[in-house]
Amino acid sequence: MHPLVETRNLVKTYELGGETIHAVNDVSLTIEQGEYVAIMGASGSGKSTFMNMVGCLDVPSEGTVLIDGIPTEHMSSDDLAALRNRKIGFVFQQFNLLARTTSIDNVAVPLIYAGLDTATRRERATAKLIDMGLGDRLLNTPAKLSGGQQQRVAIARALVTDPLILLADEPTGALDTRTSEDIMAIFEELNASGITVIVVTHENEIAEHAKRRIEFRDGKVIEDHPVLNRIIASPREEVEA
Amino acid sequence: MASAAPPARSRRNFLASWAVNIAIAFTALRTNLMRSLLTMLGVMIGVFAVTLAVAVGNGASEAVTETINRFGSNMAILIPAPDDGEDGPPRNTGIRGRLTQRDLKAIEAEVPNVRAVAPQLRRQVDIVVAGSSTSSEAVGTTPGYGFVTNQLADGGRYITTADVRSAARVVVLGRTVADDLFGDFDPVGETIRINSVPFTIIGLLEVKGSTLGDDQDDTLILPISTMRQRFVGDSLPGPDDLQFAFVAFNEDASLARGKEDIVNVLKDRYRVKPGDVAPFTVRTTEEFVEQSNFVTGILQAVLVSIASISLLVGGIGIMNIMLVSVTERTREIGLRMALGARKSDIRNQFLVEAAVLCVLGGTVGLALAWVSGVALENYADFPVPVGVGTAVGAVLFSAFIGLLFGGYPAVRASQLSPIEALRTE
Repeated sequence: MHPLVETRNLVKTYELGGETIHAVNDVSLTIEQGEYVAIMGASGSGKSTFMNMVGCLDVPSEGTVLIDGIPTEHMSSDDLAALRNRKIGFVFQQFNLLARTTSIDNVAVPLIYAGLDTATRRERATAKLIDMGLGDRLLNTPAKLSGGQQQRVAIARALVTDPLILLADEPTGALDTRTSEDIMAIFEELNASGITVIVVTHENEIAEHAKRRIEFRDGKVIEDHPVLNRIIASPREEVEA
Repeated sequence: MASAAPPARSRRNFLASWAVNIAIAFTALRTNLMRSLLTMLGVMIGVFAVTLAVAVGNGASEAVTETINRFGSNMAILIPAPDDGEDGPPRNTGIRGRLTQRDLKAIEAEVPNVRAVAPQLRRQVDIVVAGSSTSSEAVGTTPGYGFVTNQLADGGRYITTADVRSAARVVVLGRTVADDLFGDFDPVGETIRINSVPFTIIGLLEVKGSTLGDDQDDTLILPISTMRQRFVGDSLPGPDDLQFAFVAFNEDASLARGKEDIVNVLKDRYRVKPGDVAPFTVRTTEEFVEQSNFVTGILQAVLVSIASISLLVGGIGIMNIMLVSVTERTREIGLRMALGARKSDIRNQFLVEAAVLCVLGGTVGLALAWVSGVALENYADFPVPVGVGTAVGAVLFSAFIGLLFGGYPAVRASQLSPIEALRTE
């Protein structure tokens, strides 16, 4: 069995003021199916760049990323788009919901690109929103939702294509502590159901929820070990509903 | 689960994805309503101008053809002027033009398929009755003229061969002339003075109406012999000479063939040698229609070219606003790409948005052009037909403008890198 995510000698360089900056410098690691990984590091450590390459949003300067055993280095942009659509769900710090668009239509966006018809799109989006405890917010636009609700819509959107991997970049960065806890509880549950969760964060308390912790500094992995005293987030009533 | 192949999209959902793009486009238009309306206004004015220009050109050509057809479609027009073989005013060849009533008799006898002939002498005359007067063009002719022009007597009778033989002082009035002199009163049997000579009104002409300001009821018909004796005899080169003649052919006869036959008969009579300039000119209604279509075609091309400039400006407006739209929505583009949109999905989304702007603007422009066309037709007596072809063409053309000018912004949007686009604030 191949690992779900594998990076081989991954390098990303930028030219800045005539200087070459190694944002990610020769990183090789594997993440197995069902893992719950926190990627840590200060800003500029390369953790976000690393994650963007794992998410097939950014192209490595050197090395390769294998998703589900498939090398991505020679894939066309269309094939990468399809790969993102089917195998990876993204959750962003700023939620990135489309304004003036209902929860259902926001969640259904990935299904448009999966080529599903309108009825199926609505049906699946509704089901995911109900899973996220937003059954009574189906037709609300983001402006009518709290931060936590918006992030849950975004998680529903990430999950609507039933991806193998959930990639979350600072998912609680814009939320208060209590709401952050709710979101982490959702991740906990998703991981328990078999989805591989990768969270990028600079907050220790968030990283403590994961099962494995990878720390970046200056583009390199300086620490990679299991989390010993894991915090298990307890979901609020509302989220369970 | 772990299949290597990227998901294949079924063709079945091709239309569905366009429907989604149209929905996205309408959301975007509503979001920036004012801006969208102003952009549409540009295309609207462009399509309005182009459609109207096309319709005016078609109308002009229709009107000319209709005028000619109404006057008598399948006929040759003979003029006593030297034919130098070129269009336009005859050059001074030193040859005196000739055409006589005897020539016309020969044509009637020798050329096959002739339906009727109409020799003519024409002159502007003053007409007076007690209490009112007017002036109009008098046509001195034979009974054949009624058949050639498809305009016989409606009340009373037409001129007859007997009238011509006896040079009778009788006249058939066109409706316009009759109305000018008598109003609603039936003038048949009354006496009028034409250039001071008393004439008896024997009938009224059928009403034909007018096209392009050419009133075919503003005329009066006299026997050609009377006209010659009383009004124009001195100005002609011979006692039998004509100013015009019409030769009408049967409906199914070839006009080109008929013209050739006439020319051959006349060349024979005037002993025109090969290479010489003939002292007469023969033209057919077909040639007039062709010639006028050529002229109206040029008119239309000029109008459409000028109108196209406004459509071009409208198109540039579309491109401008689409570039703004792409810039504003860079983050949305990045997000869509992250969620699985392919380059072509992004490109199509913006193409559809541009096309929707153009088609909406174009449809309104088309509607305005249609309304203007109807108004012009009703109030200015000028046909401006906005036909189904023009309408479909206008809408398709505005969609084409959208694709043309929306193309660059849309392709630019599709070329964005997902991560760069997502990072945009």
